[in-house]
Amino acid sequence: MDISTKKRRIALGCEGSANKLGIGVILHTGDPGSASSTSTVLSNVRHTFVSPPGTGFLPKDTAQHHRAFFVRLARRALAEAGVRVADIDCICYTRGPGMGAPLTSVAVAARTLALLWGKELVAVNHCVGHIEMGRAITGADHPVVLYVSGGNTQVIAYAEQRYRIFGETLDIAVGNCLDRFARALQISNDPAPGYNIEQLAKQGGRVLLDLPYAVKGMDCSFSGILTRAEELAAHMKAGGKGPDGEPFTAADLCFSLQETVFAMLVEITERAMAHVGSTQVLIVGGVGCNERLQEMMGAMAADRGGSVYATDERFCIDNGIMIAHAGLLAYETGFRTPIEESTCTQRFRTDEVLVKWRR
Amino acid sequence: MPTDVPVEFPCALTLNVPFPDARLASVALQALRVDKELSSLVVRDLSTIAEEGLSEQTVLRVEYKAATNRMLRVAVNSFLESLALVMEVMEVLDHDVVEAWQGQEERG
Repeated sequence: MDISTKKRRIALGCEGSANKLGIGVILHTGDPGSASSTSTVLSNVRHTFVSPPGTGFLPKDTAQHHRAFFVRLARRALAEAGVRVADIDCICYTRGPGMGAPLTSVAVAARTLALLWGKELVAVNHCVGHIEMGRAITGADHPVVLYVSGGNTQVIAYAEQRYRIFGETLDIAVGNCLDRFARALQISNDPAPGYNIEQLAKQGGRVLLDLPYAVKGMDCSFSGILTRAEELAAHMKAGGKGPDGEPFTAADLCFSLQETVFAMLVEITERAMAHVGSTQVLIVGGVGCNERLQEMMGAMAADRGGSVYATDERFCIDNGIMIAHAGLLAYETGFRTPIEESTCTQRFRTDEVLVKWRR
Repeated sequence: MPTDVPVEFPCALTLNVPFPDARLASVALQALRVDKELSSLVVRDLSTIAEEGLSEQTVLRVEYKAATNRMLRVAVNSFLESLALVMEVMEVLDHDVVEAWQGQEERG
């Protein structure tokens, strides 16, 4: 049967490219790509591997976590969705980009499910998953997308069936900068280091510490800022004073770091908006949960007569439903991933994907 | 019994993993053979075979050859972790198992 004519289409999606294992079940109805098509989240469950303060998550331990939690999470996703195996049309999994061992651990489980249930597999690009979920949840029409997470920092705009990268980090992701800075201050990784930096930053603001501002045209760089922030953290711990001769706190450091990196992101996003002639910004990825970033982006967008779209933590933090959704969109255009080709890859450019489901 | 072990890959190990039926052995084979070995100093061969005197290919056979014992150990341990995951998925999420607990929920 032609999948695009089937009234109810259901996909199970599995995500594990970093320390979050997510499984979701999505329902699509109506003509794919038409105004009458709908997407409904039937279930979206997640479990995060949290490493101790002062440490980051390593591939081997993360993969072990995903293997340990996959079955119980999949069972919960099925139970909450209330779907039968027969109702499911395809199994979607994250091909990449991300960390090798964690990606593969989830792919092995997804393959097994597909084989046991007699379903086809769909390999999904993690970034495209974020973008499609952001579009679906917010209804943003033609936004410039800022995709910011622990692993990725890209400014993206859609053109002719590709999500084109207009600007990106030249070294590390902004979320990686924040996460690694958190280790320097032994900030807790529970629920996420970035979240705890955000809360701490709210208590800062007495002084804006001097950090390098590194925007390079459409791109930006964060590794130098991280080095300087780590130096300041060491300076603070050694009893050093701030620029005004007064001691400064971890909260001041968090505040200063956020203000600096977020201003950089706003600048490169605005540059892309001017280039493309868009007034809308869609922020996706874990760092997109940050309310200060949303506020700063909102001020810039408002100045241009536009607005910011963002999703809540269910969807901006890595999750399985975005993989199910993007995967099902591809599946509806006839995209399939044969089992023998269902590998994973640490590098997978956003613009490598042919976005056949959009005109 | 090693047939043509390359001189540079002297460390070898063969595992025969029995499954309840040929279908499950085949599922395990197909799920586990996709990913390449990470090291070029490790060679892996996966297949299904029948038990002595039987016709159904219910056994997953994996043959590992590696340059050093350490590499062999790392590769085999990694394989076993993936195998354990495959088996857990089979135990809890095969369609008949899912139907059984979904049926139970409806009745109960």
